[in-house]
Order: sequence, then C-alpha cells, then structure tokens
Amino acid sequence: MSRKKILLAEDNSTLSLLLKFRLEKEGYELFMAVDGKEAVDIIDKHSLDLIITDIMMPFISGLEVISYIRNKLELDIPIIVFSSAGQEEMVLKAFDLGANDFMGKPFSPNELVIRVKRQLS
Amino acid sequence: MIDFQILLEYYNEFPFLVKLAWDFSVVLSILITILIVYLKFVRKHLRKIEVDNLKFKNEYEGLLIEYLYSEEEAVEISEPQQVILEKLKKHVPIKAKRKVIISVLYKLMNQVSGEVTDALKVVYQNTGLIHYALLRLKSKKWYVIAKGIGELTRFKIDSAEDEIKPYLTHPVREVRKEAHFYFVTLFQFEGLSFLDKLTTPLSEWDQIQMLEILQKFSDQEICDIKPWLQSKNDTVVLFALKLANLYNQYEVKDLLMDLLSHENKTIRIQAIEVLTHLYGIEAKDVLKANFNELSLEEQISFFGMLEKLVIPDDEPFIEKHLFHKNFEIQLLALKILKSINIDKYLGLNKLPSNKKSLAMLNLTDTI
Repeated sequence: MSRKKILLAEDNSTLSLLLKFRLEKEGYELFMAVDGKEAVDIIDKHSLDLIITDIMMPFISGLEVISYIRNKLELDIPIIVFSSAGQEEMVLKAFDLGANDFMGKPFSPNELVIRVKRQLS
Repeated sequence: MIDFQILLEYYNEFPFLVKLAWDFSVVLSILITILIVYLKFVRKHLRKIEVDNLKFKNEYEGLLIEYLYSEEEAVEISEPQQVILEKLKKHVPIKAKRKVIISVLYKLMNQVSGEVTDALKVVYQNTGLIHYALLRLKSKKWYVIAKGIGELTRFKIDSAEDEIKPYLTHPVREVRKEAHFYFVTLFQFEGLSFLDKLTTPLSEWDQIQMLEILQKFSDQEICDIKPWLQSKNDTVVLFALKLANLYNQYEVKDLLMDLLSHENKTIRIQAIEVLTHLYGIEAKDVLKANFNELSLEEQISFFGMLEKLVIPDDEPFIEKHLFHKNFEIQLLALKILKSINIDKYLGLNKLPSNKKSLAMLNLTDTI
C-alpha cells in the first residue's frame, strides 16, 4: 500500500523536523517547505493527500497557499492550519478560504497526529 | 624615482594651505583604506559566525529530535538519550554554542506543549544550561540578572524559586518585572503572594501582562484578593481591582465600597467601575449622597453606573442633572431618562430651553 503524502509548510526548522519525524513514524511520506513559495512549488509537482501549513510564512502566507489550492487549482485536499496566539482573525479567514482544521500554537504533536488521521480517514 | 622627485618638488612649492589639504587627503585615504580592510575582516568574521551558528543549529536540532524520539517507556532517560545529553553537555560551556542550544530549545518550547515540553525541560536541566542561568542571577549587571530570570521562566524551572525570590524587590524595574512574571508563570495565582508585601509600584503594562499570563491557565480558581484590596501600595490595589472585575469577585463588594472613599482618585474611579460590573447597587446611595463632593471623572463613572443599574427610584436624581454643565453627564442623564421614562423625556422638548439643550435632545434621539 502506498504511503499517504503530506506537505508540511512551516518556517520554524526545529518544529518542522520534530513533526517530520513524528509523522514519518506514523507511516506518512513528508514533503517539507520552509515558506509559502516552496509549498506552492511542491503542491504543483506532487499529488498530495494532506497539507499542513502555518499561517505566517515568508514570501507567500499560509492564507495565500490555501487560496491557491482551493481557488486556482480547485483541489479538495484536506488542509490543517497552524496559528499562534492572537491570530484568531487569520484562522477565520483560513476557514473562509477552505481550511478543514486548525491547531493553535503551542500544540501537542500527538494531537496533530490524531487530527491528521481524522482528516485522512 | 625621477617622477617622484618632480612630484615632491611640486609639493614643496605649493602654498601652505594647499600643502595642508594634500596632507589631509593622504591621511584620509590611508584611514579609508584601513577602514575598508577592517570592515572586510569584520564582515568575513560575522559571516563565519553565521555559518558556524547555522552548522551548530542543524547539529543541535538533529540531536534534539533524536533525543525526543529515543525515549523508552518506564525509563526517565534512556541510554541513547543519555549519550545525546553527554554530547550536548560538552558544548554547553562554550558561550556561542550555549546560545545556539538555548535558542533551538526555546524555539521548540514555544511551539509545542505536553510531553515534549517536559522532555525539553529535562534537556535544559541535564545539560547544565540551568547552571549558567543561575550564575547569571549573581551578576552585578541588572540586565544579565533580568535575562537569567527570563530564561528560567521560559523553561519553567520552578526549582529556582528561592534564588529568584530576592529579586522581587530589586531596585531595577526590569529585574522586578521578570521576577514577578516568573512567579506568576510558574505558580499561577499562588505566585501572586508577593503582592502581600510589595512596596514598589506595578506599572499598568506589567499588570496587563500578568493578567494575560493568568488567563492562559486552565485552572481559573482565583485566590483571596482581599488583602491586596487593602494594600498600602496603590498599584497593588488597582491590580486587585482588575482581578475582581475579571474574575467576578462578588464576595469583595464590602471592600469595594470602602474603596469609594480611598484617597487615590484613580482607585475610587476604578472601584465604581468594578462595582458597576458586579451589580453593586448599594454603592448608588453612597455616591448619590456625596455626588457634589466627587471629582468630575467620578461623577461621569457614577453616571456610567446608573446607566447600567438604574431603577425608577433614581429618576429624581437623574432629572436634577439633566442639564449638567458637563457634556458626558448631560448625555448620560438624558439617555437614562429616555430608558426609564420615555414620556418625561419626550416632554423635555416642550420645555423652554436654549439651542444647546435642544441639540443635546436631538443627539440623544439618535443614540
């Protein structure tokens, strides 16, 4: 059975690495992007099953990434959004644009795994 | 050689001022050259530091993730984890590397919660980083102490309580502030016990930040705030008033009533606002009786209270101040009258009044 492909767009390298290991341990194939631009490139090149993106990222924000997926590519891939405290309005915008779930930082990596499984089931 | 001699002869024949200008230009050129070489060296050095830091960062990130995923059940620190801790320990005494390790740990600490945070705390303690933070507390420079306390707060090191306690009354505000945040962040409402004996002022910004820290906790059971409402330190009283308001402390109403006659005007105004929020109708009679002795700000706050807690019995008092000299009070009085007795309010239009009063009525109609 082929592994499910997940894109993780996050500019905090330590957090990215931690989540990469955690999700790979669960059997997923991870694609990493350090900013929105890289995320868009990966989305264009690969057929993904899930996207996890931070809202605040350099060059292209998480919101723009969601808009690109939903409005330009018209894809129905589940999207989980990360947000920090004080970004409540951004989260609402993310949901308006088509995000499926969100996690506020700081979050538990175990909880993220549960949410990923739920989105992929 | 001959050319140089010709140049030298020319130079000697120059007038004094031209000679001076040439000398100055030469000295300046030499200085600029030295500076360019120096800047190039500094830039090269900084780039090397940057590259090294990036290399260390990648190395430590890898080690840290390896540590987090080498855990074994029923063992606090597994053997592979111990090996990683030993590796990190060797790098900690070097200041530059220590800085990178702390930044990697902190970056992750800020973003994750739960069991990972506990594991990061173990790394912080077992690599000896805590030792360097505690050493900072002994520094003579206030900003080093403040940074040390801040670091211990960020890594939630509750065992440093005794070492930080003396800094609660440090003469420098930033150090005190960090110590206050340490106790509130780590011990929540219990940590506020330093307010009992606090004699130094708590700035408005520090109060807001402490409230924000407190609101992040899941346990919102507040402790007894009565002693702080009776504190001799006005800023502690103001902070306690904010707590009473935020945590709906109905049981302190009597103390709030006492604060209506406090010598500090800001406290009196704040007490009126908290009593309004806590539905302290008993304050209305006291304030009505002393209305003329109150400051203008208190009078406005009192009318704010009446706007929310008005009953028909208050009508004569409102009527008395319908055309108060203060715009805000006048507007509030008209709004209150409109809400309790619309007929009387509409009847005001028929009264002989000046243009200003009519304008006020028109304004109240639009609200």
